[in-house]
Amino acid sequence: MDWAGWALFGLLATAALTAVLIAAQLAGVTRLDLPLLLGTLVTEDPDRARFAGFFVHLGVGEVFAFGYAATFALLGRAAWWLGGLLGLLHAAIALTVLVPLLSGVHPRIASNRAGPASTAALEPPGLLGLNYGARTPLVTVIAHVVYGTALGLLLEAS
Amino acid sequence: MAPPIEDYAMLGDTRTAALVAPDGSIDWLCVPRFDGEPVFGRLVGGSGAGSFRLGPAGPAGSFSVRARRYRPDSATLETIWETRGGSLTLTEAMVGEVAGRLLPTTLLVRRLSADAGPVEATLLFDPRPGVGRSRPRIEHRGGVLVASWPGTAVAVQAEPHVRVEAGRPVTVRVEPGRPLTVAVSVADREPLVHVTAATAWAALEADERAWQAWCRGIDEDLPHRDMVLRSLLTLRLLTYSPTGAPVAAPTTSLPEHVGGIRNWDYRYAWPRDASIGVGAFLGVGKDQEARRFMAWLLHATRLYRPRLPVLLTVHGRRPVAEREVTGWPGYAGSRPVRFGNAAADQHQLDGYGWVLDAAWLLTDAGHGLYAETWRAMAGFADTVAARWREPDAGIWEVRGPGAHHVHSKLMAWLALDRAIRIAEHRGPRRRRFGNAHARRRERWRRERDALAADITDRGFDAARGTFTRSYGSAELDAALLVLPLLGMLPADSPRIRTTIDAIRHDLHAGGPLLYRYPPGRDGLPGTEGAFLPCSFWLAQALAASGRLREATELFDALVELASPVGLYAEEMDPATRHHLGNFPQALTHAALVQAALAIRDARQPQYAAAQSSLDQ
Repeated sequence: MDWAGWALFGLLATAALTAVLIAAQLAGVTRLDLPLLLGTLVTEDPDRARFAGFFVHLGVGEVFAFGYAATFALLGRAAWWLGGLLGLLHAAIALTVLVPLLSGVHPRIASNRAGPASTAALEPPGLLGLNYGARTPLVTVIAHVVYGTALGLLLEAS
Repeated sequence: MAPPIEDYAMLGDTRTAALVAPDGSIDWLCVPRFDGEPVFGRLVGGSGAGSFRLGPAGPAGSFSVRARRYRPDSATLETIWETRGGSLTLTEAMVGEVAGRLLPTTLLVRRLSADAGPVEATLLFDPRPGVGRSRPRIEHRGGVLVASWPGTAVAVQAEPHVRVEAGRPVTVRVEPGRPLTVAVSVADREPLVHVTAATAWAALEADERAWQAWCRGIDEDLPHRDMVLRSLLTLRLLTYSPTGAPVAAPTTSLPEHVGGIRNWDYRYAWPRDASIGVGAFLGVGKDQEARRFMAWLLHATRLYRPRLPVLLTVHGRRPVAEREVTGWPGYAGSRPVRFGNAAADQHQLDGYGWVLDAAWLLTDAGHGLYAETWRAMAGFADTVAARWREPDAGIWEVRGPGAHHVHSKLMAWLALDRAIRIAEHRGPRRRRFGNAHARRRERWRRERDALAADITDRGFDAARGTFTRSYGSAELDAALLVLPLLGMLPADSPRIRTTIDAIRHDLHAGGPLLYRYPPGRDGLPGTEGAFLPCSFWLAQALAASGRLREATELFDALVELASPVGLYAEEMDPATRHHLGNFPQALTHAALVQAALAIRDARQPQYAAAQSSLDQ
């Protein structure tokens, strides 16, 4: 396994994950928009937020790719199916921990406790991101399995 | 015997709302959201569906309501009873502002105080969660009663301490100077947060000050300003703060005709009704509320665009499939009780017009649309341009075959007109895509002009000189009262004047009341009441078409029809003057504010000049 490849492969895998999410959005399957959620940390304008958020997302993807590469190194092997399994775990953590927690720190995501004084504009994702559409968990799982599989394949091949 | 609908008052926290009867019984409360499951459902579910009463002890005739009102510029309700032992005051509210503090997401605070001598009071806490009206698990933890069922827990705490028993009335002696404070906390898929009575009361007082601050600065010149403020507060209380979605009403299945079947679930957000609310909020300088609606609309319609859904849940989802609940007796025997709303599947053309008009109002008020918002609006305009020749269900959501509703066509005209206005407003910033934009605008302009010709040709009764309910029909539709506001014809044109007068005559329901269309002509058995928003639209139309005196007289008469605490349902029985339909109704309150704004504007000396420039 080529440890040094994680940076480039992380970018590729994150791009693939983003592509799955955008395709699902365009197909009307989910309203989950990670670049928008991340980008609205820095700007209110949805278009600018998506642009900024895409790069934030790439950065976050790199950090996770490092974790995948480290896990493969610990296990002594990289494989597409192992990456897929890690992707499943990653999706589970994202849906149950990371996305719901966003409303606690994100200045523009309201929480379910928001009251009359709230000026936050983005609705909270809720458990499993279900507020963004009933098929959001499914899309998230697919996107992360694609991410993990891509990393497993690329790191195995390198 | 259920109290009349107008005798209920609403408590709200901008996430859900409760209805309180004059005897202090909360007969309706859904948690954790407006469209959640009812915990207290007696309003339409009978006594087995639960309620929470705090009020004078004794049978109904042994006490009387001396006064009932909201405290000025707030959401705090005050009820004063005269009893044999003296007067008893119940002060109550739900706490809206819980973010950033360790408070329960849903917190209801009720305080009973005796003014002169000691008074016996009754506390009956009987939660029956869900459609199944099941009995929850009951525990006493310390001095707190906790009722729980899967995922949810409700805690009741009283100070001075009272051992509350679920489903059994408890008699309490309230001494002067020693008020009884009851705090009800709800936890939904989270741990319960217990609060002391003092903390709960302090939260209620802080909320009251926040609402008073919210009301400060609203135009002093508005006619019946107190009623306008009550309407604005009601609209805000019906707006779900976590997403900005405004629900039509907090209730389901309050009947449009007592004993009838016109019982619908209104605990959802209709983009059309909400757009009317945007105009109301903008008109009084509450721009933040107006902008939040547009943000919600943008996010909520993401999966459906360029189609505009008729209604959505507060989280932008499709409502659950409409179902009739067996075993629920309904309000005063009005069955069925429905959960969910099948109107979600309809095609309604008019919604596009309301939404694009709201977008134009925001643009015109200096709130430029984000590029994504504009793309969504332009997509809606494209849909209208492509589909306006199809029949639709219309604003009244008639269940049956579609028709060519003239009001829908007018609103389609409005959608295209406002899209053109916004595009022209944005024009200079979009030169690089000039040709494509120009072609799109040209298409909208072409379709808008074709619509105007079609409406004039097929939707106008030349013999009477009036616009009609639908193509080929001789009937009238009170929704046509929007005519003077659109700009398709001059507001004071003879065609508009004749249509307004014909609606006043043909759809007259007694006094200031109007039917929305000839009663019973909607394919459903039975009849319905007069439609209150239409009367406010008439006042608005009269003011907008230069008939200020008539508008003011009508508005004065309509204000008299409010419930004792200043609320309105959707409809009113013309004979008994009892309110009908879900309560309180956002559309009626938004229409009240719009009528007040139109009258205020018509009083301005510069109004005539502004009006003539709009018509050009």
